[in-house]
Amino acid sequence: MRFFRQFLGILGVNLSGAAQRSGSVLTIIVGVTCAVGVLISMLAMGIGVQREGMADVRADRVILNSTGTRGFQSSIPKNEAVIARDLPGIKRDADGASIVVFESLIPIEAHRRVTEVRTFFPLVGTTANFAEYRPEIRLTGGRMFHPGLHELFASTPCSRQFTGFEIGDRRSIRGADWTIVGHFEQGHTLQCVVYADIDALMSSFNRNTYSLVSVMLQSPADFAAFLNALQANPMLHLEAQHEREMVRESFKPLKGILDFASYFVGTIMAIGATLGAVNSLYAIVDSRRREMGTLRAIGFGSGAIVASILCESLLFALPGALVGVALAWAFFNGFSASPFGYNLRLAVTPSLALIGIVWAVGMGLIGGLLPALRAARLPVATALRAM
Amino acid sequence: MKFIPLFWSGIWRKPARTALIFFQVSVAFALFGMLQGLKTGVDHAVAAARADLLIVHSRLSYLAEPLPAGSLEQIKSLPGVKLVVPVDIFGATYQKPTQRLGVVALGLVKDWPSAFTYTIAPEHVSAFQKLRTAALIRNEVAEKYGWKIGDRIPLMSNTAQLNGSTNWAFDVVGTFSDSDIGGGLDTILINLGYLDEARALGKDTVQHFNVAISDPKQTATVADEIDRRFANSSQETKTESLLELAQSQAQSIGDMNFLIRAVVAAVLVALLFATASMMMQSIRERRLELAVLKAVGFTDRAVFLLILGEALLVCIAAAAFGLVLATLLLPLAARFVLGLSMPKIVVAIGLALAIGIALISAAVPAALAARLKVATALVNG
Repeated sequence: MRFFRQFLGILGVNLSGAAQRSGSVLTIIVGVTCAVGVLISMLAMGIGVQREGMADVRADRVILNSTGTRGFQSSIPKNEAVIARDLPGIKRDADGASIVVFESLIPIEAHRRVTEVRTFFPLVGTTANFAEYRPEIRLTGGRMFHPGLHELFASTPCSRQFTGFEIGDRRSIRGADWTIVGHFEQGHTLQCVVYADIDALMSSFNRNTYSLVSVMLQSPADFAAFLNALQANPMLHLEAQHEREMVRESFKPLKGILDFASYFVGTIMAIGATLGAVNSLYAIVDSRRREMGTLRAIGFGSGAIVASILCESLLFALPGALVGVALAWAFFNGFSASPFGYNLRLAVTPSLALIGIVWAVGMGLIGGLLPALRAARLPVATALRAM
Repeated sequence: MKFIPLFWSGIWRKPARTALIFFQVSVAFALFGMLQGLKTGVDHAVAAARADLLIVHSRLSYLAEPLPAGSLEQIKSLPGVKLVVPVDIFGATYQKPTQRLGVVALGLVKDWPSAFTYTIAPEHVSAFQKLRTAALIRNEVAEKYGWKIGDRIPLMSNTAQLNGSTNWAFDVVGTFSDSDIGGGLDTILINLGYLDEARALGKDTVQHFNVAISDPKQTATVADEIDRRFANSSQETKTESLLELAQSQAQSIGDMNFLIRAVVAAVLVALLFATASMMMQSIRERRLELAVLKAVGFTDRAVFLLILGEALLVCIAAAAFGLVLATLLLPLAARFVLGLSMPKIVVAIGLALAIGIALISAAVPAALAARLKVATALVNG
């Protein structure tokens, strides 16, 4: 109790002097603001990637790849795909047909509007029931592709970002003209995806194997039964993944790079801000030698002095964290970016704000430690003589 | 000259403070150097990419669409084309699924190395041409897995052999280095003739053709000529120089400029506050000493310059130290990110920024010091 009273007393004295030391206090606040602001803004990219990938994930969707491969590299023979359609646990549509979609992925080049930068979008050959598997698809213009025809059904981000995706536009693919017949929104996605009839696409690319078989289960709980049957069948050489798992796996490298860059830059800036805080607190402590000496002389403990200076340091660091997070949110929340061609919106979330505050507490504690120890160790006589 | 001891004693008046501010400025400029080095390194690598080497690939996609190997003769017959080498690429793994390698299979056309950006010792080239299962490995790969000449390396891939196996083995006969930033670090070269004979699917197709042209000024004309030759066929091509490919690759990383500028701006703002507040603090503590200097005949101007000089000395020394630090760290980072370097322009910009920071942050304190009234300062301490 006595410690606590002393602690509060010293803290009060410290803070009442803060106004006279506005330069030093501002240095700490601005340093922490910049370090936290940059860290949070950069981490917001990683969160954006995650949000963008996970927004439309459903627990009842399962993706099958050929064993040991993923996506574009996967190759599933037609006979295996047909067997997979009759596995247990699969949801059925109104007509009693199982909701299983066969898909063939082909990366195609597109060019960004204005900048003409080249990127790739997946051209997905798919079976006619694909909309049952992806109920989040919403038609926004034109119509879906007709089976057997050279028609393309493109997501709205395609026409927003790239040239040549207006309804009625034609693209030459493998010596044939393919026409854009419709636009759609797919849940929350910002990526360009184009669907076409799988048979038309595979015949023009001379393909005889599918890339993916996508399955909708009756309920997420049916996964175990489905997986058992899949693995028990010696005819099938397929691997099943929950949609969530597949998305997480495919975004891991991108999120890894972005998070690494964020923490790398954030750490260096935090070191700089901490050094600045140490310097400022030394100056503050030095200017208060007289008060500290007096307090020690009338019996205040050195523990209370250390605690009060650490607390003061934290009190200067925290506004920095809040301003940093607020600035990051104000400038970059919802900001569009496309690192490595992947479209995302930066997201400053409460969990990021928490990281920012933890970061600031770290800077405050480390920055305050040496000055606090110096203040507590100062011999009383020397301190008083400084008068 | 008489100022130098004064600078020195001013700077070391409070060693801890000077050391802290020195390291703070160093850290800031080390970060500046690394970020800017990343950016200019990529720019330089792009600018250095060869404009006279063309890649002919499918119009649909650089990645996934094969071309018939037979197109080689048609390309070769076009005017301006010096050399055409067929290239196929597939992915493989070594021991673990995470240890990925890019396998580049190339046709052993006479003089083939001149159509690539690789540097290969002549004896390694001839050894490579003698053995069908030979492989040349990039220096970085050799180092990473400890492979030596004479080793037989087992790889797994999704390219099947005639007997259905997806395991491949190659004999290391030499090493190479690559000057192209898009080349990928984990690359090995193998014989396309052997691959095509041994694989079950995709026979007589290639991923792209490397084309060397006789007159580097004719790049665009030759590229158009090649694409026109295959226009309206089922195998339309797109021909690009390595320079164009490098440019689009650099662009796909995203708007690095904006990010770097924003970070550097934040760093500089924080730094400005720190140095300015330190200088103010220092002047406040030294009123008495400055007054004495003036009393013994230093002009206002001399005192102004003295303070400015101190700030300049610390900031420039610290910035230089930070940039040296960044230069030392960059080669380490270059193992993960290609094309990092620290060109002189970055050093120059860094030092200019350091001077700017010193001048701005010291201007007000120096002016205060210059205007100091000797009598009041001496009386009040």
